[in-house]
Amino acid sequence: MKIGFIGLGIMGRPMALNLLHGGHPLTVWARRAESMQPLLDAGADAAASPAEVAKGVDVVISMVADAPDVEQVMLGERGVASAGRSGLIAVDMSTIRPAAARDIGTRLLAQGIDFLDAPVSGGEVGAIAGTLSIMVGGTVSAFDRARPAFACMGRNIVHVGDAGAGQVAKAANQIVTGVGVLTVAEALNFAARSGVDPARVREALLGGFAYSKILENHGQRMLDRNFKPGFKSWMHQKDMNIVMQSAHELGLCLPVSAATAQMYNAMVGSGLGEEDSIAILKLLERLSGGERET
Amino acid sequence: MRLGFIGLGVMGRPMALHLLQAGHQVAVWARRSVSCEPLLAAGALHCASAAAVAGYAEVVFTMVTAGADVEHLTLGADGLLAGFAPGSILVDMSTIAPQTAHSLAERLSRSGVDMLDAPVSGGEQGAIAATLAIMVGGKAAVLERVRPLFALLGRSVVHVGGHGAGQVAKVCNQMLMVAAIQAVAEALHLSRAAGADPARVRQALAGGSAGSRVLEVMGGKMVDRDFVAGVEARLHHKDYRIVIGEAHRLGIPLPVAAQVDQQLNALMAMGWGRADTASLLRVLEAGGECS
Repeated sequence: MKIGFIGLGIMGRPMALNLLHGGHPLTVWARRAESMQPLLDAGADAAASPAEVAKGVDVVISMVADAPDVEQVMLGERGVASAGRSGLIAVDMSTIRPAAARDIGTRLLAQGIDFLDAPVSGGEVGAIAGTLSIMVGGTVSAFDRARPAFACMGRNIVHVGDAGAGQVAKAANQIVTGVGVLTVAEALNFAARSGVDPARVREALLGGFAYSKILENHGQRMLDRNFKPGFKSWMHQKDMNIVMQSAHELGLCLPVSAATAQMYNAMVGSGLGEEDSIAILKLLERLSGGERET
Repeated sequence: MRLGFIGLGVMGRPMALHLLQAGHQVAVWARRSVSCEPLLAAGALHCASAAAVAGYAEVVFTMVTAGADVEHLTLGADGLLAGFAPGSILVDMSTIAPQTAHSLAERLSRSGVDMLDAPVSGGEQGAIAATLAIMVGGKAAVLERVRPLFALLGRSVVHVGGHGAGQVAKVCNQMLMVAAIQAVAEALHLSRAAGADPARVRQALAGGSAGSRVLEVMGGKMVDRDFVAGVEARLHHKDYRIVIGEAHRLGIPLPVAAQVDQQLNALMAMGWGRADTASLLRVLEAGGECS
């Protein structure tokens, strides 16, 4: 299967490499030409625009920052749709608002292009290892056709429902992880300020009902005070904003997500945006009478 | 002076009437032309498009619902920009995001048109009584030209700062006011649950340091269980999207506003968007019924 890939950042680059390693001929495009070099070195072809990527492939995948970027590469000037290839499958793996994904899908379909929203969970580590969770929205037939591409990039590949359903699943994922990181940080900070070794508390909790992957992995990194990303907190702030915007549109009460979104706002505003989301621990420490020495 | 007014709803209609009654010529246009009728009956001039209003008037007022409406009205086909002569002034009195106001002002200035963002507080009563509080962003010299007109609409006119600053003040106004409504609802809800008459509690509080306009007006509506809008709650819900959007954009925590926003979301879900925001009390009561 010939595949096109647009957006070669921290996530996109290893995902595209895994498609190449899976034996799929690959054409790539990125806004900054130097981002394409590692892929060209590995055997991919370069294109001059998203439209040119779309010309010679069966499936075109985008992995960019936000909804306006997806709209630009798919529907903008020299975008994927302008190549006029009906029967093409366009797959967006970025994290954007469900409503925006539905809108982009509808507009592509009007031009004969099938659309799948397929955001991922698993971070840079999962992207490199090809073990991402992929949550897919769109038609079953498009999903089946794109599945060989997904199989190169991820392990847990779930067709969630119609267009937008993948983004709904991703937003739900970000609620659980965003709130989860904050609660683990609160628990460990609570333990430390109560004069108890947080490492022992984590260990004790791991055996019980409070066990979670976040307590295990993020909790350990908090104890190690390893704030290197990982998943940058400004990205989690963006994702929580997607959650809160969707809650507003739907008339949904999400009090805990709302509180969490405010904490991520504070992180970005106080200069922690480029650090991993576990740096929320530093913010809690500041609010509790001073940051611990690192 | 030759004026234009677009957006003749609950707020806009009495405001436009005040301008007319002071002896100004007022051109109007509305998507649904029936909205113009009360103004035409009072002597206003009917135009076929927003562009025609802009072509006629030295100063055009807009009072519509959302930022997208103001943008469309200004930049869309047959919009204000198509009709404005250089030196005209657009006074947008709607409540929209500060960023939107700022970028519109920039867009207009490229065509030699000045803009003020001038959102108001005071509700329908304030609009009818011409006692609105007007919060102005834009150039001081432009405000001075418009000030005599503002004096016909409101009692307090504050120049807050440059483009968008009026909207920043309005965001703060809405944030404080609705948070206060939520606080009053919680206090009265607690009173009832604890077996004290909410009316007496409200009366007792009014004399002390918790006394406030919101306790008086909105607390009164809650005690009377009068949930007929004043200001429809859906508009506060819309304004809170701006509040939370600004918190995100600026990277600042607004923990209380975020919780109030969630109560407003619940209010919308319960179908009270067109009722008064005093319905926040009913959201609390509905939560109690679940358990």
